[in-house]
Amino acid sequence: MNFAKALIVARREYRVNFRSPGFLFMAFAFPLIILGLMFFITQFIIERETSTDDFQKVAYVDKAGIVQPDVVAPAGYFALDVPEVDAVPYIEQQLKDGAADAIFVIDANYTLSGQVDVYSRKNITEALKENIDAFLSDNLVAQATNLKVPPERLVEPFDAVFRTLETDERQSEAALIGRFLLPTIFVFVFFIATSTTSQFMMGGVVEEKENRLMEILASSVRPLELLVGKLLGLSGLAFTQITFWILTGAIIALTTEQGRDFFSGAEFQAGDVLLMIVLFILDFVLMSAIMLGVGAAVTAEAESRQAGGFIGLIAVLPLAANALFFTNPNGPIPVIMSFFPMTSPVAIIMRIGLTAVPAWQIAVSMVILIVSTAGVLWLASVVFRLGMLMYGKVLTPKLLWQALREHQSTPVIEVLPE
Amino acid sequence: MTATSSTFATSDHAIFVQGITKRFGDFTAVDHVNFEVRRGEIFSLLGPNGAGKTTIIRMVLDILRPDDGQIQVLGGVLTDATKDRIGYLPEERGLYKNVKVLEMLIYLGQLKGMSAHDARVRALDLLEHFGLSDNVKSKISQLSKGMQQKVQIIATILHKPELLIIDEPFSGLDPLNTQVIQDLLFEMKAEGVTIVMSTHQMHQVEEMADRLLMINKGQRVLYGPVKEVRQTYAQNAVIVEGEGNWTSVPGVKEVQAGRNGHEAKLMLAPGFTPDDVMQILASRQDYTVRRFELAVPSLNEIFIQVVGGNGSRSEARFSDVRAAD
Repeated sequence: MNFAKALIVARREYRVNFRSPGFLFMAFAFPLIILGLMFFITQFIIERETSTDDFQKVAYVDKAGIVQPDVVAPAGYFALDVPEVDAVPYIEQQLKDGAADAIFVIDANYTLSGQVDVYSRKNITEALKENIDAFLSDNLVAQATNLKVPPERLVEPFDAVFRTLETDERQSEAALIGRFLLPTIFVFVFFIATSTTSQFMMGGVVEEKENRLMEILASSVRPLELLVGKLLGLSGLAFTQITFWILTGAIIALTTEQGRDFFSGAEFQAGDVLLMIVLFILDFVLMSAIMLGVGAAVTAEAESRQAGGFIGLIAVLPLAANALFFTNPNGPIPVIMSFFPMTSPVAIIMRIGLTAVPAWQIAVSMVILIVSTAGVLWLASVVFRLGMLMYGKVLTPKLLWQALREHQSTPVIEVLPE
Repeated sequence: MTATSSTFATSDHAIFVQGITKRFGDFTAVDHVNFEVRRGEIFSLLGPNGAGKTTIIRMVLDILRPDDGQIQVLGGVLTDATKDRIGYLPEERGLYKNVKVLEMLIYLGQLKGMSAHDARVRALDLLEHFGLSDNVKSKISQLSKGMQQKVQIIATILHKPELLIIDEPFSGLDPLNTQVIQDLLFEMKAEGVTIVMSTHQMHQVEEMADRLLMINKGQRVLYGPVKEVRQTYAQNAVIVEGEGNWTSVPGVKEVQAGRNGHEAKLMLAPGFTPDDVMQILASRQDYTVRRFELAVPSLNEIFIQVVGGNGSRSEARFSDVRAAD
């Protein structure tokens, strides 16, 4: 194979498709719109939920008698007496008159029931709830001096550490978040990469067939060089898109306090990351080779889109069966999906986030995936060689089988225009 | 199977084909065909639709592999380097629709081993030569059909090929553009480029080709220099234009009406030659002759005769032509 020619094809595929409005929108405009929307919505919610500006005056009615005089109340908090009869109308009137922005009533049976009724004319924010919660905790802790435990233990009774019996691995909650976060990102990125580039993979080949360019190209480059060139160029395109998406997401996440907390808490396992990168590359090549083969076999762009959608769906089948993965990640269906090459990367990655996947299963899955990827690449080059000259005719599996059996480059005469 | 060496091919051969056969399932598309194309000549490949012309071209270009026989191109088995010395314009041809003219030409030039710079310089030169300088930055879809065909031709000759293989070069061209392409092909021939031309337009072959190969049902039916092919098919007859009673000329066994209403075709009796008849007519006062020529059939007539009749008989005759060639 002349690699220099494959690189010329790769550069052209990258350049032409990079400039196409479809790619520019999907790669740059779409994620910016989505992330921008997410950012503003999040900021709006955070602003709303973390603000206590609307609650400058907060009254409390302590029917349980738990508020301690020596506990410092938050600014703006004051005690309110309410009549025994018609307490609620009275509270409503106080709120209407502006005597208080919010009033919470600690039920007489609070120590047993925990009931607190909060009244407000405006939406009660998360920040107000947390303030009331902290106020009540402080008062409860102040009464528990004889328990001989630090007050913070009462506020946060446990800090979980999770242990996996199979591997005796000790994992913090943050690490678990990281292990689940990575598979989610993997599946998301994989889906974006394949769905965006698949249309270029197949569309480009179909266009070259429809425009009768294939024979001209075939007189200059070998089918395998054309296939590898397209694969490299469009993989580069997918890589550009993924990099932009991840960078944009990371920048936006890191500019928010919540995002920073989330990422600093997640502990990424180096082995998992490496495995995911290898699986991602193999799976991407496998899917791309299938899509290039399909593009060479069909005759119209509409047919290629239908086929591409179907192939893309198979790859994310484990997501559709996520209930089976969550309930029993080592069950038969998840294990079978881990060995089937088109679903194995997503299945393995999903299982890694949920359980300790046996090493032999990962090894077998990788071997099957590598062998199938090599096989599909070879088959795609055969289909490519056969299909590239079949203008207006579909390369059916029967014709392909016939050609493979006879070891010849063209199965029957009617596929070739004379 | 393509042989790695040949005892027959010489440096004079641009293409040397010996006994190639191609089968598609049970159908034999090309059946033991031999021919050679000499360097610097215009060689025409003729045949009805489905005869096997395109299959032969594809085998020569290694797009298809022959089941049997051997092919050598530009002195050896076709390699990637040899491919870069060939320009190919297939019958089923097109261009990227939404790509700019210059960009596409540079890409196709690079695939033929040119540097991007050289491809750009040469493309601009050829675009100017073909009157397309104003369309350098146009997208292909914005060009007229005639302009697109010119761009296709430019893409084919951009890398200065030593061997040009063109399938139906004049298809869809108006007379003006036909002349432009015809002039270009003659120019290239003068520069030493070998041209293989597959066409249905017989008058173009008569006018341009040095030698021809006619294929019918996958088999060679005519092969040799164009002039000799026509001479071999010439009947023992002359075409005359003038006045007189042609039936009474000694040696004329039959008179047929000519094509334009003025001429007559005189079929000669065995033992009489056109020279005999010309001398008789010159010696007689009662005949006026304005035109006298041998009744050589056009390639079109030969084509119809061969393809519609017994191909193998014709080939038997032309193997003599080839042997004498």
